[in-house]
Amino acid sequence: MRKTLGWALSVLGVLVALLGLAVMIVLGPDSRFSTGPHPIETDGIAIVTAPKVISWADVQVDLRAEVPVSKPVFVGIANSVDVQSYVGKTRRLEVTGYQRPWDVSTREVKGQVNLPGAPTALDWWIVQSAGRGGASVSTELPDETVSAVVLAVGSTNLSGVEITLAYGIKGGFYKGVSLLLLGIAAVWFGLSLRREGAWWTTEPSDEEGTLIEEQVVYVYVDEDGVEHEMSAEEAAAYDVVEESVEVVDVSDHSSEPQPEEEAEGAEEAGPDSASEVADAVEPVAPRIPGVLTAAEIAAGAEPEPVPGPTPEPEPEPEAEPEPEPEPEPVPEPEPEPEPEPEPEPEPEPEPEPEPEPEPEPDPTPDPEPSDERVVYVYVDEDGVEHEVSEDELAEFEVVDEEEES
Amino acid sequence: MKRLVLLLVVTALALSACAVPHERGDATVEKTAAREAEVTAVFNRYRTVRNTAIELLDAKPLSIVESGPVLAIDTGSFEVSQRLATTQKQDTASVDVTDVQTPRFTKYPLWFFAVVRDVKAGVNRVQIFERETAVEPWLLVASPETLADTPIPAIRREGGRALTVKPDDGVGMSMSATAAAKAYATSLADAASPEAGKVADDSFIKQMRATAETNAKLDGVTFAQSWGSDPVKYVLRTTDGGALAFVTLLRLDTYEVKDGLTVSWPEGTPQQAFLSSGISSAGKLRYFHQVLMYIPGGSGKPRAIGQYGGVVSADSQ
Repeated sequence: MRKTLGWALSVLGVLVALLGLAVMIVLGPDSRFSTGPHPIETDGIAIVTAPKVISWADVQVDLRAEVPVSKPVFVGIANSVDVQSYVGKTRRLEVTGYQRPWDVSTREVKGQVNLPGAPTALDWWIVQSAGRGGASVSTELPDETVSAVVLAVGSTNLSGVEITLAYGIKGGFYKGVSLLLLGIAAVWFGLSLRREGAWWTTEPSDEEGTLIEEQVVYVYVDEDGVEHEMSAEEAAAYDVVEESVEVVDVSDHSSEPQPEEEAEGAEEAGPDSASEVADAVEPVAPRIPGVLTAAEIAAGAEPEPVPGPTPEPEPEPEAEPEPEPEPEPVPEPEPEPEPEPEPEPEPEPEPEPEPEPEPEPDPTPDPEPSDERVVYVYVDEDGVEHEVSEDELAEFEVVDEEEES
Repeated sequence: MKRLVLLLVVTALALSACAVPHERGDATVEKTAAREAEVTAVFNRYRTVRNTAIELLDAKPLSIVESGPVLAIDTGSFEVSQRLATTQKQDTASVDVTDVQTPRFTKYPLWFFAVVRDVKAGVNRVQIFERETAVEPWLLVASPETLADTPIPAIRREGGRALTVKPDDGVGMSMSATAAAKAYATSLADAASPEAGKVADDSFIKQMRATAETNAKLDGVTFAQSWGSDPVKYVLRTTDGGALAFVTLLRLDTYEVKDGLTVSWPEGTPQQAFLSSGISSAGKLRYFHQVLMYIPGGSGKPRAIGQYGGVVSADSQ
């Protein structure tokens, strides 16, 4: 999803940047096209664009009229309703069509030789200018029908008039620059999105940006303490002895839910099985000193002496330490466990504390191993397990016959 | 996520700052009668000129801000003041324009509707300002008054503009504005006419009929009153589907007095100002009455909800 979004953003950014570049190139630093001066043949007193000839809005228009011998001239732009009322009965040259850059069609309209009033005395011009020898106006066309007029002021006429027209986008060059920068930013953003997927999830505290994928992995631990991964169907044949939740940063893994990380102590299983172990073993918690593993118990190993009560072999991220409800094998009353601080939650709590790798991962483990061995242990007041022989077992009371698979 | 939102905000701001040139495919040639600033300027200019006329006790300056029946009525009022040597009250209070409605037009004349509250007089002036051509100024052409507590029907708006009604368009109403004006004038002239039943018997009609009956009772005097209506030009659509029309009525009072008798009016009245020596043989008084006529949507009868009028001319023998 992020890659798709990143690609889309990058493509969009390229298009926007190209658009901005095109705007810059086409409009140039002055943000407009310019054409003229173009002579217009007329001996009248008015040149007027017909309604709807100017059909664009939000276009910056600069119009300049120049007449010889410093004759007074007026240039203005106004709503076509006003202009038609003003020059409607006056003889005029009406511009009936216009094509860029400069292709105009005109027609002569007969009428009175004078204007009904001085143009400079009217209050409805959107923009107006008057001067001797020339006049110019500049405005952004409004969203209404407007007409442009060039008028002779006083008793003169417009013979010899030349028109210069420029049109563009106000600040268009800089808007092109903005578009270019915006496009570049979008491209960069898209690249970041594609390359740095963790861009979104760098902060686990960002609850909206963290993506959590839930994956259930079933493993069983054989008598050697080696974990075997199995399918959910296979797991149905076993009793669930432990459930643990492990948070794994998927950004360093492939999208496949295969555990690829090499387990610690893989070399303990022998050099020939190391690669297979790496495919089957999850990252494990460090070994807790003083606590025998199931494999050590099976091998008859003695527990290491520990100065105090050992933490639970399978630490749960609980806020309060739970007293171990394990029955005391000795007749003495069980001492109250000392409240001890909860061990630091492991970053990746292993459901099985056994780090032993599996020499030969078998996807279909034998649910009933043929070589079955019974191990008797007792747990002293410190919670340390001690293996006892069958002969010594008579001295103890069997309190738990849980079969460990 | 925050960076993405920031980027989107920046993009939106950048794009919103760009006025994208576009071709107006459905361009229509029309114009809103007046912008807000223009309306304010029109009112300020009107008050300035009117106060100048009051100061000079001369109606001539009013001709640059008023036109038609309003100018005629105000000129008559100033003439009365001059003849009676009385002063008129200057309008120095702040302009309290409570409503402005600006229709759009495809050609001149342009006009707009405004309601001005006169708290001291206890009336609302419902006014029409018109610009006949592009080279003419805005002029007040209608100004009927309603009592301050008389509700003025709301004007229907569409696309930010007030909707107008063609004077001859009577769709959705009992009659068109033009027909209502004619029926109203006919009803005033002849209470027994069939037209009288088509309009409401409102207070203006009752007052005019009462005045006519009083004048008709003068001994030795033959009194006649006739009414006519000018073409209706200003009609606005109301929200109930009706119309609000500005109707100008022309009233002519004719007196024929037997020899040896003279008809005279009390001191200080407009009639006395125009006919200071009275009417000893025959005489005429002409009045203009501007009526704000409400034509309800549906089958309701037209009725006047406001008026402004007075003597505009007189002659006697």
